[in-house]
Amino acid sequence: MDPTLSIDDSQQLKTWLVAVAKKDTQAFRSLYDATAPKLFGFLLRILIKRELAEEALQESFINIWNNALSYQPHLAAPMTWMTTIARNKAFDLLRKIDDVVEIDTDNFDKDVMNALESTAQTPGESLQLSQDAKALSRCFTQLEGMQKQAIVMAYYHDASHSEIAGQLHLPIGTVKTWIRRGLERLRICLNNSERA
Amino acid sequence: MNIQHNKILREKLSAAFVLGTLKGGARRRFVSLVKQSAILQAEVAEWEARLNPLAEFAGSAAPSPQVWQHIARRLSLDSTGQQSTKSSWLNLGGSLNFWRGLGVISTALATVLVVVLLTRQPETVAVMPSYMAMLVDDKAQPNIVIVGDAKRHSLTVKILASQTIAADKSLELWVIPKKGTPKSLGLLTKNGTTTFTLPANATPQNVAMLAVSLERLHGSPNPDGPTGPVLFTGAWQQI
Repeated sequence: MDPTLSIDDSQQLKTWLVAVAKKDTQAFRSLYDATAPKLFGFLLRILIKRELAEEALQESFINIWNNALSYQPHLAAPMTWMTTIARNKAFDLLRKIDDVVEIDTDNFDKDVMNALESTAQTPGESLQLSQDAKALSRCFTQLEGMQKQAIVMAYYHDASHSEIAGQLHLPIGTVKTWIRRGLERLRICLNNSERA
Repeated sequence: MNIQHNKILREKLSAAFVLGTLKGGARRRFVSLVKQSAILQAEVAEWEARLNPLAEFAGSAAPSPQVWQHIARRLSLDSTGQQSTKSSWLNLGGSLNFWRGLGVISTALATVLVVVLLTRQPETVAVMPSYMAMLVDDKAQPNIVIVGDAKRHSLTVKILASQTIAADKSLELWVIPKKGTPKSLGLLTKNGTTTFTLPANATPQNVAMLAVSLERLHGSPNPDGPTGPVLFTGAWQQI
C-alpha cells in the first residue's frame, strides 16, 4: 500500500469510487491498490486460508465494480461501504463451504483483541489506523473483557448468540444482554467522541 | 409493533443486523423493512460506520498479484486496467506479444486453410473464413484460434496449446456481445478442434469478443455468463 495514502483519505477514495461508477478502469486499479491490502488482511482473519481470502477479495472487487453506481457518498464513507461488501462476501463463502474452515477463535481473536487494546494504550504506534478505528478502540476500553470478546466474535465470525454463549461458557441470555449493552455503550461513547 | 416510530427498537435491530447477531427470519424481515425505509437505511449506515473500523484491527496483508489478474480477466480489463473492448490488435500494437501473436495467427490461419481445403466438398469453391479471433491468456499468449465462416454458418475452434484441464472441468466458449449478456456456444473438446453453428448475428458489429472459461464438467450453471474464471479472450474481427 502506498504509505502516503492514509485510509483517512476518504475524499480520494470517494473520487475513485465515483469514477469507477463510470467504468473508469484506471480509477478502479488505484482504488484496488489503495484498499486491497486492508481488505485482504481482514478477509484473511475471517477465512484463515489464503485461497479463500483471495477468492473473497476477488468477488468483493467484482461487486464493487458492478455496484459502484449504487454507492451513496452521503450515507457511507468509501471504506465503510467496501468493508461491508467484503465482509458479506466472506460470510457467503463461509456458508458455502460450511465445515471446511476451522475457526481458531482463541488465537485469531486474541490477535485482534490485542491490536484493539494496544491501540488504546499506545496510540502513537498505530499510525496506520484511521481516526474512526482509534476512536472505536478508545471506546472499547469501557467494555468488560467478555463483552469485547463477544462483539469481536460476532463481527469476525458471523457467530450467533448461542455460538458465542458456547465459546464463552455463558448462558445465552447473558450473552444477549451483554452484547446489547456493549453496543449501546459504544454508540454513546462514539457519539461523544465525534462531538469532542 | 411499528418499528418506524420506535427509535429504541430501530436502534437495537440495526445494531444487531450490522453486528450479525440478527439471524434467520428476523434478519430477512429486517432486510425487507430497510429497503422501504430511509430512516432504517441511515440507521444501518451509522452502525456500519461505527463497527466496520473493527476490520482494521486485523492488520494488512498483501494479496497475490493473481487476484488483480483474475478480476481484470473477469471484467475484461487488460493488465494495465484498460477495458479491452477495442480490438486487441490495436492494443497490442508494437509489443513483442503482438508479433509473437501474429506469428502464431499466421501459422494458425495456414492450418485452418489446410483444414478447410482438406475437408471441403470438391464441388464448392474454397472460401476464406469470414471472421476470426485469436484467444490469448492473461500473459497475451495465443492459445485458441476461432474462425467463423458466414457462408457455411460454421464456427471452428482450434486449441493450439495443449491444455491441462482437470477431469471434472470443462472449457466453455462464450460470445460476448457489445450489448446484453454473454451467450454460451457450448463446451470445447479439451484438445483439438470443435465446430459449432455460427449464430446468425455473430458479426464483429454485434460481438465485442469471444471468451473461454473454465467451468464444471457440464458447463456454467448460469446461462448468462461464466461461473468459473475466464481463461482466454480475444476480439472478434472480420478478415
